[in-house]
Amino acid sequence: MKVNYRLQDRFDFFIFIPLMVLIVLGLLGIYSSTVNHPTANGNFERQFSWALISMIVFFIVYFLPPQVFKSYSLTGYIFSIILLILVLAIGKTVYGAKSWFSFGFAGFQPSEFAKIGTILFLASWLSKDNVDINDPKTLFKCIAIGFLPILLILLEPDMGTSMVFMVIILFMLFWKGLSLFGLFVVLSPGIVLFSSLFGKIIMFIMLALILLVLILFKRNIFTSVTVMVINLGTGFVFDIVYKILKPHQQKRIDAFLDPMADPLGSGYNALQAKVAIGSGGIFGKGFMGGNQTQLRFIPQQWTDFIYSVIGEEFGFIGSLLVLTMFLIIFVRLLNLSKQANGSFESLVTIGAFGLFFAHFAFNIGMNLGITPVVGLPLPLLSYGGSSLLVNLVMVGILMNFYKSRRLYD
Amino acid sequence: MNDLSFGSALRSKIFYLLIFFFFSASFFQLFKMQIINQKNYEIKSEENSIKEVPLVPPRGLFYDRFFNLIVGNKSAFTLEIVPAFYNKQYNSIIEKMLEVPEGYINKIFNKDKNYSKFLPRKIMRGLSPKFIAWFEENKSQLKGVDYIVEMQRDYSYGISGSHMFGYTKEISLNQLKLFKGIYEMGDYVGNNGIEKTYEMYLHGIKGAKLFMVDSKQQVIGRYENGEQDIQPRKGYDLVLTIDKDAQQIAEQLFIGKKGGLVAIEPETGEIIAFVSAPEYDLSTFASFTSGNQWKELINDPDKPMFNRASMSQLPPGSTFKMIGAVAALEEGIIDTNFTLGCGGGFQFGNRFFKCTHTHGRVNVIEAIEKSCNTFFYQIILKVGFDKWSEYGKKFGFGEKTGIDISEEARGIMPNSSYFNKVYGKNGWTQGYVVSLGIGQGEVSATPLQLAKYCALIANFGKTKQPHFLKGFVRNDNNQFIPSNYKQIDIGISRKTMKIVREGMFRVVNGAGTATHVKIDGINVAGKTGTAQNPHGQDHAIFIGFAPYENPKIAVACVVENAGYGATHAAPIVRSVIQAYLQKEVFKKNQLIAKKEAEQ
Repeated sequence: MKVNYRLQDRFDFFIFIPLMVLIVLGLLGIYSSTVNHPTANGNFERQFSWALISMIVFFIVYFLPPQVFKSYSLTGYIFSIILLILVLAIGKTVYGAKSWFSFGFAGFQPSEFAKIGTILFLASWLSKDNVDINDPKTLFKCIAIGFLPILLILLEPDMGTSMVFMVIILFMLFWKGLSLFGLFVVLSPGIVLFSSLFGKIIMFIMLALILLVLILFKRNIFTSVTVMVINLGTGFVFDIVYKILKPHQQKRIDAFLDPMADPLGSGYNALQAKVAIGSGGIFGKGFMGGNQTQLRFIPQQWTDFIYSVIGEEFGFIGSLLVLTMFLIIFVRLLNLSKQANGSFESLVTIGAFGLFFAHFAFNIGMNLGITPVVGLPLPLLSYGGSSLLVNLVMVGILMNFYKSRRLYD
Repeated sequence: MNDLSFGSALRSKIFYLLIFFFFSASFFQLFKMQIINQKNYEIKSEENSIKEVPLVPPRGLFYDRFFNLIVGNKSAFTLEIVPAFYNKQYNSIIEKMLEVPEGYINKIFNKDKNYSKFLPRKIMRGLSPKFIAWFEENKSQLKGVDYIVEMQRDYSYGISGSHMFGYTKEISLNQLKLFKGIYEMGDYVGNNGIEKTYEMYLHGIKGAKLFMVDSKQQVIGRYENGEQDIQPRKGYDLVLTIDKDAQQIAEQLFIGKKGGLVAIEPETGEIIAFVSAPEYDLSTFASFTSGNQWKELINDPDKPMFNRASMSQLPPGSTFKMIGAVAALEEGIIDTNFTLGCGGGFQFGNRFFKCTHTHGRVNVIEAIEKSCNTFFYQIILKVGFDKWSEYGKKFGFGEKTGIDISEEARGIMPNSSYFNKVYGKNGWTQGYVVSLGIGQGEVSATPLQLAKYCALIANFGKTKQPHFLKGFVRNDNNQFIPSNYKQIDIGISRKTMKIVREGMFRVVNGAGTATHVKIDGINVAGKTGTAQNPHGQDHAIFIGFAPYENPKIAVACVVENAGYGATHAAPIVRSVIQAYLQKEVFKKNQLIAKKEAEQ
């Protein structure tokens, strides 16, 4: 029986209004930081066009039949993987990473598309009734699904995006009900990799600790040995990856480890972003009034450092507004994930949450100087058409689920 | 975490906790940055975004007393290196191209070690076109190296004037501390002479070009299209008392000689010419002075860096005889009827003091005219040593004239207490005093002091403190502001002065020692002198003034190791007087002489 619901029951304004506010703030920031720029002065118009296109796509996705996402998830995933392989072969190199398809008028990053593909496919795979996430074999399969795009993206190489994938996969597995041991298995290689950044001694201490925990878990010998071997392997991956990395990426890692080692290099960008935000004060220097921004102190500020434009020109009030809008979206996503019709919808919602939260946390953290400098855009605000499109498609899917949830009641 | 079910409440709570944790951290950080530490960041942001490149104003120019330009400015290229962006491996190639010794650049860097590495160091002024061409070709590799256009002193106006003008030198760290806020590292300040005395007038007010710089300190554009730039204010132009023609001829006549010449306008104390020979080339100081050039100048036995005009202290010889004459006349010891007999010398105790000739009976006027030593040996004894010395002091001997350059010596004007100090209370006799009467022995004066003395006689005991600065031209409204100087009146009666002046007139126009100094149409008065030099040839001295009736110029000239004053110093004085008083005639004669020389 068809019931005529009120609009707010079919369309989630708790997500849509903050989303619009953030897009508008992003456009203001892009306008302010690029309108007087000699080479980037068309960026506002471009982003504005992309925002309109993305809005249209958002509503198309919103009105699609809800089943399509699950039924086409494998196709989408395979298509993503093909694109990721293709981009390695014929892609365009931007900022040292071969991650773009160029169509002349616009660029497109397959890794953006792969985010949706991977979230949908992993969600559909995990939502099968017979999947026991705590069965080691199943777990390894899950990790493999996630690892394939991560590997391809690392080859571009795009560290930031692969980290986002890791967060997404981790969140989804966690939501599915991964046990403490499973969580340990998934996380430990990451911890080893991270500790290896600080030198061999710290890495070996960490490996020893992991071995100790493994023994405490008292699993069967085969599982334990496998986990240990994986950990040992990742321990040495860093050295190899570091050597493969482009000099500018190596510098980013160095700058993270010792931010003052290269004050005029990548650490300097983050430092200038902090100066911009800090100097904004309570009310900011006003739209188009931030000298850090207007004097173009932060290279490519309209991408990864868009938050510093807001911070400088709109001050504490503006910065807090951005945080609050994201807070509303995140809380709402978590609520939606609990209210979802099925585990597929719920997992997709958590995947989207992971996607946005990872971007948000790394980006804001970098701008505020509380996390390492990882080149990730701030969702909905940063300049970048394909990123905005993918984000709105993602939200469109969630809105589609929201629209559909009561119809199946 | 035993709850393994899908989307359990516990797992949901963990996500909420994660969000809560991250938002608290961000909120706290934002609060700390934008509210607590806002001021610090604001200061950083202001400092960072606009780069000020100081615009050094051109120094004020020097004009002579008739507003002829005598020291100008010209643009020159200066090499600058910003140590922060510079790679020291290029030191040797740059040093080679600059033709300077190895280690030259490091030496400059080490000198200013404590200064910000982001401030440019001036490496060398006056770059050659060859270097500029080489630099332009290799610019892309030479990071942190650049050249700027700077104004440099231009001395191509026909006179050298090295000792009065002085030169500028890069400011020392000590001076920098002293004049904080006015000067910056790499600025040039007057080191000696007029450049030093009037530094405050000359340096002008600095301006600044404002540039926007990006995070790499690279210029991305002019700040507000240069509308906010601060224009530099040129220094005040100085109008000097020097006469270009007189100065020029004096310098020419001193080429190849050692000594000093000072010409003063008696009534005003204005210095018309000021020469110390040998000169040094000021233009070498305007750009780069190599270590070798320095050593050469310092070690030159002729001491070209030594300002003889106001610092050489030599016995004034017979030019000093008027002191005794004035003293005796003023004290009423003698009058024009008083005569002394000269038999070729004066026997005092067991010592015979010689005269140049046998003059017979002479009065004071004739004694000056003929430069009779016998007369003045006895006059100083009649006046008394200390009284004589008092009169010498009145004329300014033994103390600085207060001229407006810092290089000045006071000379020696002895009296009995001075001799007591030097020789002990009973260590000297009246015999020591006798030769002082003719300006020999333990008495010394600078050419400047002699010129002031001559001016005082010429103008009946009245003059003003000798000076170079007539006034300055303000840089805002081009108004000429004349300077004022202390009036000097030594209080000698007109009657006495008349007598002494007559003696000096006869030196040139009577049966005197310098009749060859006569100039058609101008009455010149003067006095020759020869300072005995135990180390070599005597020093030739001449003081003179003209016109006799209404003196406009008083000159003192000392030529070292030249012999008789009449022969070697007097002709120079004659030319200077003529160049100053008969400009047209003098120039015509010069042209004729030049043509004759060519033929």
